[in-house]
Amino acid sequence: MTYTSFLVSEFLLLWRRKQDVINALLFFVIVVTLFPLGVSSSAEFLAPAAGGIIWCAAVLAIMMAVEGMFKEDFRDGSLEQWVVSGLSLPILVLLKVVAQWLVVIVPLLAMMPILSEMLYLSDASFWVLIMTFLLGTPSLFLIGVIGAALTVSLRQGAMLVMLLILPFYLPVIIFSTLAIQAADAGLPYSGQLALLLAMSLLSLILSPFMAAIAIKASAG
Amino acid sequence: MNWMWFHKLGSPKWFFFRTKAWALPLFSLGCVGLIVGLIWGLAFAPADYQQGNSFRIIYMHVPVAILAQSCYFALGVAGFVFLVWQMKIAPIFIKAMAPVGAIMALIALVSGAIWGKPTWGTWWVWDARLTSVLVLFFLYMGIIALQKALDDPVLANKAVAVISVVGLINLPIIKYSVVLLETLHQGPTFTLTKKPEMPPEMWLPLLVCMIGMCFFVAGLVIWRMQSEILQREHRTSWVREEVMKNGL
Repeated sequence: MTYTSFLVSEFLLLWRRKQDVINALLFFVIVVTLFPLGVSSSAEFLAPAAGGIIWCAAVLAIMMAVEGMFKEDFRDGSLEQWVVSGLSLPILVLLKVVAQWLVVIVPLLAMMPILSEMLYLSDASFWVLIMTFLLGTPSLFLIGVIGAALTVSLRQGAMLVMLLILPFYLPVIIFSTLAIQAADAGLPYSGQLALLLAMSLLSLILSPFMAAIAIKASAG
Repeated sequence: MNWMWFHKLGSPKWFFFRTKAWALPLFSLGCVGLIVGLIWGLAFAPADYQQGNSFRIIYMHVPVAILAQSCYFALGVAGFVFLVWQMKIAPIFIKAMAPVGAIMALIALVSGAIWGKPTWGTWWVWDARLTSVLVLFFLYMGIIALQKALDDPVLANKAVAVISVVGLINLPIIKYSVVLLETLHQGPTFTLTKKPEMPPEMWLPLLVCMIGMCFFVAGLVIWRMQSEILQREHRTSWVREEVMKNGL
């Protein structure tokens, strides 16, 4: 096993299990639909709330996608193979996150124009929404992967991962929606974007190591 | 410098015998401090010129709110200590501390809501400090849930340490991010660098409550740690001797 072959096999696995990604995306769309139907379908409510609604739905969908990331690997023994493979475990975790991120985020972004149109998001805010997604979601995946690694040995860990990880997602949601609101109001939003990037970079440094510790403990 | 004491601290047995005599005095001292401080604050301290008597809940609210946050900090440090030095006592500390911290965060939230109703006219606002204590409560509950869910003690130790460290790193970020929400909460009551803005008749009982609360929590946590040590080490001979000699 090399890093390249690992990455290729991860992409291949994700491709063979494309239904999982489709499920996460459907979940995302359905959660977004809950808001106009559940709260109010008027443009006065939806237009200012659109950024927040899309972000909340995306956070839940990403949580769903990340939560079971290592389940299959744990069951078929791949996790142990990673540990004894001689390759650096944090880098393997990082590669897996990169694969997962690409596979989830690209279709999510592709759906963004439709959803923001349905929620009457203004054109100016749309590109800010896309930017917050590109800068903020890496940190969501990276933090989520710690939760997934911690609970991998549990048969039903989904609820627990949510409980553990969602509080850590709050800053990302807050800064993203603040950036979108600022763009709506015609104010500068580069500060919030910079903070999102900072959070992604910080989790990039720390989370592979934390996840690796958790995987080692779970597999050993 | 001699680091022996630091390494000894990692041994549950050493810790157990070292702190055996401490738990009860600390706990009783804390109880006395709390009772004195509360009676002093509730009955004898002067009423606030603006808030009247409703401000008196400060004598409960501020100690638990401060401790809820410092205890989370301690959890994170313990998690770090466990990940780096593999000290067996650190996860025991986390397990003993987390529920205490969660309850303190909950008391801070509830007492704050009760205080907020007469002064702000509302039970709850999405204010920076209220939200950050709410998140703190969630973080504590997450640690407790993870601890309960994992049956394998070795894995549970590691997992809880990891999540505590992650929480410690994230706590400032969460606090900073919610500060951007608008604030209604009054400024901090105690800071280390400035003299309190209240007259001494008002802050002295608060200080007594604060110190009493610290002792109370310290005693409680040591107690919980000791029973946890006995449970974890129940196969060893020293626990058997101890239980045979002194009972439970």
